[in-house]
Formats: sequence, C-alpha cells, structure tokens
Amino acid sequence: MEKSTAQTGVTQASFWTVGRGAFALALLAAALFPVISGSTFHFHIAIMICLAIIATMGLGVIARVGQLSLCHGAFVGVGAYTSMLMVMRLELPFMAGVVAAVVVTSLVAALIGGPLLRLRGVYFVLITFALNELFRLVMLEFPGLSGGSSGIANIPAASFGSLVLDEKATFYPLALISAVLVVALVALVDRSMIGRRFSAVEENITLAESTGIATARTQNLAFIIGSGIAGFAGALMAHYIGFLSPETFHFELSVSYIIMLVVGGRLALWGPVVGALILTPLPEFLRGAMEFQHVFYGVALIVILSFLPNGLVSLPDRLARLGGRK
Amino acid sequence: MSFLIIQSLVNGVILGLLYLLMAIGFTLVFGIMRVVNFAHGEFYMLGAFAAYFAFAVAGLPYPVAVAGAFGGAIVLGAIIERVVFRPFRGDELSGMIASIGLALILQNLALIAFGPDPLSMPSLVSGAYNWGGIILPKSRVVVILGSMVILAIFYYFLMHTRTGRALRALVQDREIAAAYGVRVELMYPLGLALGAALAAMAGAFMAPLFGVSPFVGGTPLLKAFIVVILGGLGSIPGAVIASMLLGLIESTTSTFFGASTADIVVFALVIAVLLVRPSGLLGHKEA
Repeated sequence: MEKSTAQTGVTQASFWTVGRGAFALALLAAALFPVISGSTFHFHIAIMICLAIIATMGLGVIARVGQLSLCHGAFVGVGAYTSMLMVMRLELPFMAGVVAAVVVTSLVAALIGGPLLRLRGVYFVLITFALNELFRLVMLEFPGLSGGSSGIANIPAASFGSLVLDEKATFYPLALISAVLVVALVALVDRSMIGRRFSAVEENITLAESTGIATARTQNLAFIIGSGIAGFAGALMAHYIGFLSPETFHFELSVSYIIMLVVGGRLALWGPVVGALILTPLPEFLRGAMEFQHVFYGVALIVILSFLPNGLVSLPDRLARLGGRK
Repeated sequence: MSFLIIQSLVNGVILGLLYLLMAIGFTLVFGIMRVVNFAHGEFYMLGAFAAYFAFAVAGLPYPVAVAGAFGGAIVLGAIIERVVFRPFRGDELSGMIASIGLALILQNLALIAFGPDPLSMPSLVSGAYNWGGIILPKSRVVVILGSMVILAIFYYFLMHTRTGRALRALVQDREIAAAYGVRVELMYPLGLALGAALAAMAGAFMAPLFGVSPFVGGTPLLKAFIVVILGGLGSIPGAVIASMLLGLIESTTSTFFGASTADIVVFALVIAVLLVRPSGLLGHKEA
C-alpha cells in the first residue's frame, strides 16, 4: 500500500516536470512561430495574442481580490486615448505616451476605486458594466477628444528615436517583450506579501479584515495595478492598429477579456496566457463565420465553468488526479 | 411649452410600461435563482422572432402569436435552467458569467438561422389619437393595453395563487421556503421559464414598434438592467417605481436636452444609486 502511494507520487512528480517542460516548449514554439513562418498574417495574430495576454493579465489581477470587472475594456480605452492624445496633440515620443497611459489609467482607477470597490459580487459587476457604457457614451459625446463615432485614424506607429516599428514583424518583438514583462510583474506580485493579501481578501474578506489586512486598500491596489496594465495594453493597441473609435471599447471587448480569463483560469498566473493563446487566433481564422465562433465562445465558457471552474490551466492537475485515483 | 411637458410625460409613462415588462422577468429571475441574467434580452429577441413568424409569415392571429412566444419561452427557459444554470446554484458570479455565454450562443444561433438583416413586422393598427395636441400613436396604445393585461395577470398569479406564493417565499428565504415544502426543484426552472416568457412576450409586443433582428435584445436588456439597479435587484415593487422613473427621466431629458444627454444622465444616476444605496431604492439590504 505504502509502495503504491510512493509510486504514484513519483509518477505525479515526473508528470509535472514533463508537463511543465512541455508547456514551456509549447509557449516558446508559439512565440517563435511567426518568426519562422515569416508570414505577416501570423505576425498580426501573434501581436493580437500578446495584447490580449497583457489586458487579460490585468483583469486577472483584479480577479485576485475576488472582483470581476466589466469595464476592463474601457480602461484599455482610457490608455489608448491617453497615449494617442499625448503623441498626436502634444507631439511627445511614443514612450512618453505609454507612460502617460499607464499613469492616467492608474490614477483613474485610484480615484474611482474607493467608492466602487465597496460593492462586491454581482453589484460590482453591474456598476462596472454601467461604467463601460458611460465611457463609450461620453467618448461619443466629445468628438474633440475621441474623433466621435468616425474615430481617429493615422495614429503614429510605435517608435524609439529613429527606430520606427511600423511593420508587423518589427512591432512583434515589442509586443512579446511587453507581454513577458507583464507576466513577470504579476508573478512577482503573486509571490510577494501583496499577493498573499490579495488571496486572503479573495477567499474571505471578513476574515482578512479581522486579521488586520486593510481590505479596502488591498482591493484598491489590485484595481490600480490591473487597470494600469489595461492602460498599457491600450497604448500598445492604439499605436499598433493606428485607429481608435469609441465602438472599439464596447462592452463586448470587456466580455472577451472575461471569456479568456475564465477559459484559461481565473486565478492562475498562466490562465490569461492560455486563454488568449486559444481564443485570440479563432476570430482571425474563422473570419467568414463570426457567428459560429461566438457560439463556440459561449459553449466553451459554459462548459469550462461547469466542468473546470479553475480553467484549462487546471486540466493537467485534474487528469493527474484522475490517473492517480485509478 | 406645457403641451411639450404633458406630451413628454405621456411618452415617459408609455416607455416606463414597456421597460417594466422587460424588467419584471429579469428581477424575478434574480430574486429566485440569484442569477443576473445577461441572456434576458435574447429571450426578448426570440419572442420577437416567434411573433414575426407566427403573425407576419404564417398569418396566425396576433394573440395566438403572443401565446406561442409565451409557450415556447416557457419550455426553452425550463430546459436552459436544467442544462446551463443548474451547476451554478449558490454561485452568483459563475451563474452570471454563464449567462453571458448563453447570450452569445442564443444571439449568434439566431444570426445563423435568420441572418443579420432587420425584418419589419407589420403594425396591427395605424394612425394616432390626438387629444388637444397630445399625440398618442394607436400602435403604442395596443402595446400598452397588452402590457397592462399581462402585468395584471402576472400580478394575480404572483399574489393570489399557490405557485405564486411559493415563488415569493423562495425570493424571501430559500431555506425556510424549502423547509415549508416549497418544491425548489420545480420552482427554479419555473422561475427562469417565467422570466424568459415575460421577456419573450415583451419582444412579441414590441416587434411592430422596434423591428425584428438578432440584435434587438441589447437595448431592452440594458433598460432592464438600469431599472433593476435603480429599483433593487429582486424587488418587484422597486422595478415598478424604477421603470416609471426611467421612462419619465428619459422622455423629459431627451425632449429638452437631446437623446444622448438622456443616456448620460441615466447612467450617471445609475452609478450614483449604486454607490449610495447598492441595494436600490426598494431592495433588501445586503452586499
């Protein structure tokens, strides 16, 4: 009996090392794929995946204190518009635009976070839903800032001094490095004291409060970090796509981030990466059949929620446990 | 000027009634199942299609079309409760995310089946009543009378029948209701089925006014959301007051300041209410 448990322990451990190795290799292969194929279309998809990873990572940080934000797309929008205005109106360099986008979104989150985060659960979801609509309506109302419903085109490409990243192949390294940096940042947060406070608040806010954690401040911090990351994604997006319209930041954008987060794994570090990797390429490959793809999204969301509430990331663990039980 | 005020008040009450039909099913579903149902608007859309095919295509009488939408939605709602929402009982957040998935599925299945082009539903009546300058289109009068009949029947069902009492008991306290013999296993599917059926009838009634397409569910869902936030999630009297309030605010603000200002004012009000009184005007204290 003892021997058999020891054996399954060994197989499980090796399963894990093999699994992790395979996951790392798959990520590397995915990252290098466009470089090897050299196709601009593949570069485009890879860039969109990186942008989705960054934004969804931000949503994941907010989810770490147990809150689901339906205005994440609006924060991506705030970042995109801030950077666009900095670069196009004030003629600042691209980097300044990105920094401004992160600072402004974090400030907005800090300002509204206090009263907003007193609400929890479905009430928080409802107010963030209303905020996302409000953002879109206000942007449509002020065409001087946003270009109104016709949007703003010809946003300058990302550049560092004389190095202009105006092609997909040259923008991709920037997008990839940014995604890696954001994942690393969130990993750091997870390992720090702050990360432990986040999960304490997520698990039981009353208990967290009674053990001396400043729950309001902890939630605010997660909201500020998550929204700042969204702003970063927005700035990159603005200078990559070169076109912004209030309709880009429709409620559906927020929903797509939620789908990626839930499908990948709500609280797992690699959840957003897995979710974005699987769900972003679909619209590009299924161009002609948007509605089939949306049906697939809906089914995936419900199936994952019912059978794998911790997302696809928890699948190997589930399989290992099933195997161990036999 | 006073004409303008009275006209906009009348319009406001009409709008309010339409919103109420939508919001009451939404709030009932939340009260019973604790699910914020993002797919509520899709039941409205399906009801509009059902009425279109029954009335405009098959040539059945209008009341039969509405009854068909009602029956179809009851069956569909009960099935969906079993298949989609059952695993998420007691988990508000997951239930809500699942309803987002459900909305995507229903809307895009409709898109596959019926195509994106809006269909126009013929009106039942044409012309308008004119009372000393206050204009009331007859098609709207029909919708209002229909809504009032449905709301009256629903009110009677909820307040004076055994099943209605069971549903209300469930809204107040699930465990105690179950202990007193309310059959939760029947009431959950019934709750979603009724919510879906109310939305589908709203869709069937409003199809002649707002057209029929896979995307028509978005706006009514948004209005139901706003009404329910203002009135309190799960509170039916709250929904009544809030939908009238919303109708009046929208029509007066858009008469005097324009439609987009009306939208912004409404959303600002929603956010203010959520911050000051998250449980809404008449909701129970929680959260």
